Amino acid sequence: MVVVELQVNGERVSRQVDDNTLLVDFLRQGCGLTGTHVGCDTSQCGACTVSLNGVAVKSCSVLVAQVDGSIVKTVEGLAQGEQLHPVQAAFVRCHGLQCGFCTPGMIMAVEYFLRHRPVSLDDEAINTALEGNICRCTGYVNIIKAVRSAAYEMYPDLAWDVSEGGQ
Amino acid sequence: MIGQPLPRLEDHRLVTGNGRYSDDINVDGQVYAAFLRSPHAHAIICSINTRLASAAPGVLAVLIGQDYLDAGFQGLDHVPNPADAVDWTRPAFTDSLTGGVFNQLHLPLPVDKVRHVGEPVAMVIATSVMAARNACELIDVDYEPLESVVEADDAIKKDKPLLWEGAAHNLAFQVQIGDRSAVQEIFKDAAHVLRREFRNSRIVGCQMEPRAAIGIYDAAHDSYTMISGSQGAHRQKMCLVSALRTTPEKVRVICPDVGGGFGPRSMVNVEQLAVVWGARHVGCPVKWTGDRSEAFVSDYQGRDQIVRAAFAFDAQGRILAIDNEWIGNVGAHTVSYVPMSNGSRIMTTVYDVPVASVHISGVLTNTVPTGPYRGAGRPEAHHVMERMLDIAAREMGMDRVEIRRRNLVQRKQLPYRTPMGLTYDSGTFEANMDRALLLADWEGFEARRAESQAAGRLRGIGLANYIEGPVGAPREWVRVSVLPEGVIDVAAGTQSQGQGHATTFAQVVSAQLGVPATSVRLRTGDTAFVKFGGGSHSDRSMRLGGTLLVEASAMILEKARDIASRILGDEASELAFVEGQYSSAKSGRSVSLFDVAAYVAQHGLPQDPQIRALDAEAEFAGRMPAHPTGAAVCELEVDPDTGDVELLHYSSIDDVGQPINPLILEGQVHGGLAQGIGQAFSEGYYVDRLSGQVLSGSYMDYGVPRAGAVPPLSLEFTEDPTTGNPLRVKGGGESGITPATAAIFNALADALSEFGHDEIPMPATPAVVWGYIHHIDEASNEF
Repeated sequence: MVVVELQVNGERVSRQVDDNTLLVDFLRQGCGLTGTHVGCDTSQCGACTVSLNGVAVKSCSVLVAQVDGSIVKTVEGLAQGEQLHPVQAAFVRCHGLQCGFCTPGMIMAVEYFLRHRPVSLDDEAINTALEGNICRCTGYVNIIKAVRSAAYEMYPDLAWDVSEGGQ
Repeated sequence: MIGQPLPRLEDHRLVTGNGRYSDDINVDGQVYAAFLRSPHAHAIICSINTRLASAAPGVLAVLIGQDYLDAGFQGLDHVPNPADAVDWTRPAFTDSLTGGVFNQLHLPLPVDKVRHVGEPVAMVIATSVMAARNACELIDVDYEPLESVVEADDAIKKDKPLLWEGAAHNLAFQVQIGDRSAVQEIFKDAAHVLRREFRNSRIVGCQMEPRAAIGIYDAAHDSYTMISGSQGAHRQKMCLVSALRTTPEKVRVICPDVGGGFGPRSMVNVEQLAVVWGARHVGCPVKWTGDRSEAFVSDYQGRDQIVRAAFAFDAQGRILAIDNEWIGNVGAHTVSYVPMSNGSRIMTTVYDVPVASVHISGVLTNTVPTGPYRGAGRPEAHHVMERMLDIAAREMGMDRVEIRRRNLVQRKQLPYRTPMGLTYDSGTFEANMDRALLLADWEGFEARRAESQAAGRLRGIGLANYIEGPVGAPREWVRVSVLPEGVIDVAAGTQSQGQGHATTFAQVVSAQLGVPATSVRLRTGDTAFVKFGGGSHSDRSMRLGGTLLVEASAMILEKARDIASRILGDEASELAFVEGQYSSAKSGRSVSLFDVAAYVAQHGLPQDPQIRALDAEAEFAGRMPAHPTGAAVCELEVDPDTGDVELLHYSSIDDVGQPINPLILEGQVHGGLAQGIGQAFSEGYYVDRLSGQVLSGSYMDYGVPRAGAVPPLSLEFTEDPTTGNPLRVKGGGESGITPATAAIFNALADALSEFGHDEIPMPATPAVVWGYIHHIDEASNEF
């Protein structure tokens, strides 16, 4: 057993955990944050993606003891009160989700991709950003739309580029 | 509201992490189950030694199949033989040539032998997941391995190992539909006869949410509760009732959010039954959450149908008769015969085929049981039809479009009864095809092909027309209640696994009752308040549920008008009803539907003051056919050096009836298409033919489509109205997938025509395509 202390969605959380506890299990069972999902056991699906010290990681592939003292943000910590994060809002607006199971991981991956002004928003750039996340419902068509839509919301000059014949 | 691309009402919850899927739920005092699974495809269970496992730390029970039988329970009856597509009061398959349609009750844990890799053989219940899993490894099963058989056409050959005593030659059933001797007479004199075998590959559902279930037993009332995601709580409940040999009031099934359905989650899985039994055995709630590795060897799978097609043509390319042999791989247990039923019914698709015969065999093999997977037999049937037309056109020196034009059912023939007994009431089949060709710039293709050729690449284009025959569970129910606090409460027997019912049902009710969609609250998936209903599959939710919403809403308005007239002191017939408000021109006063509900809550209904609710129930039992139809064109390019295929463009036109929400509808088409693309190119569930070992056990070796799989699209919707239901709904859930592999493989065969005319194996991975180009027989290749 080991005691860990992390900052999760702005709150300090201290727990005694088994040495082999995964970050995703710590979040889901230890913190009750069930928005982060487990969709596979080979680190392929990305449903468990969270932000760890500002970087999107698959929380099924991280031991919580490994990241003692870290800052974690999950999908539950993304909105400001009732105000959705632009990525969340874009997923709703563009119908970027159906069953919703992959969605939290998708949103966390896209939030990371768009945290800084993206160099490119062409298909290849977006597909690469989504490479580690699997969705079975949408065919990704509307997820890709949502990524662009969120990007234009967050970086209005990108939208300007498009209308000017950029992209 | 109907027809508006309203963003979904359920999404706020889901994008903020507030979805509630099965594994998100915990029950006080719960313990955990884990399953030991068979490493053999076929083996006698000589003995199971559970002594060490039982003594392991945290272990409460180690249960095997005999314990289940000793408790007095029986296996699951999946009712694999579905209701007939036309006469729902009889099963689809009767008069089996084997003497009867085989239905073997499905034990949660087998007692005699294991029949597929991954079949659970023992369940450990422990105080933690880890303890349960670790204890599984301490169970010692003495197996006597048997020869196994995994391919359906192999399993029915002589001297093959038999899975079940009651199924000679591994045949679950064998039926002949249509007049085969008449068909064969026509074949004798036909100008052209074409025969070809199609092997539609096996598919893993890959719903993103791994299966999970919590079983709860209430000893005081001898009653059971199961919390578990599914595609229909009532079907699951009735299946549990019969297995547990109890009565319906003793079983409650709760279905929370579900992370994807696509068909396989309609039937009860053995782990669901096992945790309910386990809860009774150990006296506290038992939770099981499967992982993805288990899913790949235990989730019911789809497709795996072989069709040996035979078509007779006249000299002008008109189909004279079809004589198909359909061999479906049922897997190791009798879970579902739906794909064979749906597929054979729709076999002649949109073409005017005078006579057709199909000989269907449902075959048991040492593989994971199969069941309906999106389209469930219809994509397989369309693949055969559309490939056959392309091949026939080539062999007869005809244009691919022209041969279709000569065979299409003409609109003036409607209502048209197919030789398989379906009646098409609407659909502009030829116009749809022409539109798809236009969207795809079919005419300009040869110029584009030449450009590709100049760049050393092989370009192909393919067309497929389609029609569906949605059927599904015949019974449905809704209740609509107007609550004084400004909420319309809707309870329904259908369930969403991502289709957005909370939004589309709200749009329908909003349109009927003149209230905002946001005031409608949909509740589903709990047998405690859902009287009955068939769940969601086969495009049935809006077709049946929507119709009942219209009926229940009309009943409410009839009651409400009468009450409004009492409140307003005016004749009921004199009241205007606009946007949820009754108003009287005489008194100048108005009253809302919610005011009426408040009045009822206080005074009761005029006819019966004891009734204090303004609500209405509507139910349906029967068939409400509708036939979504359309056409699709796929254009692709092959890199001959690597066998890699790039989809360049995909066009489709879909007549799904009246779209309730175009945003959601398009999403359904995208998703179905992606699944078709996956089957065409990457989703290979490889099983070793000799040992029955699964070679595709994770997302690392099963190619579920990733971002970018879907090419640029030109999608359009059209409507030739059906009169079969008041909302003119046909269904959009399967339109994307039904023509997909057909259009894609037609394009691929077109691109590769210089290398041969054999059928390209499915999925057409780069290795397969490269092998085709270089004439390497995959079967002879030792990888």
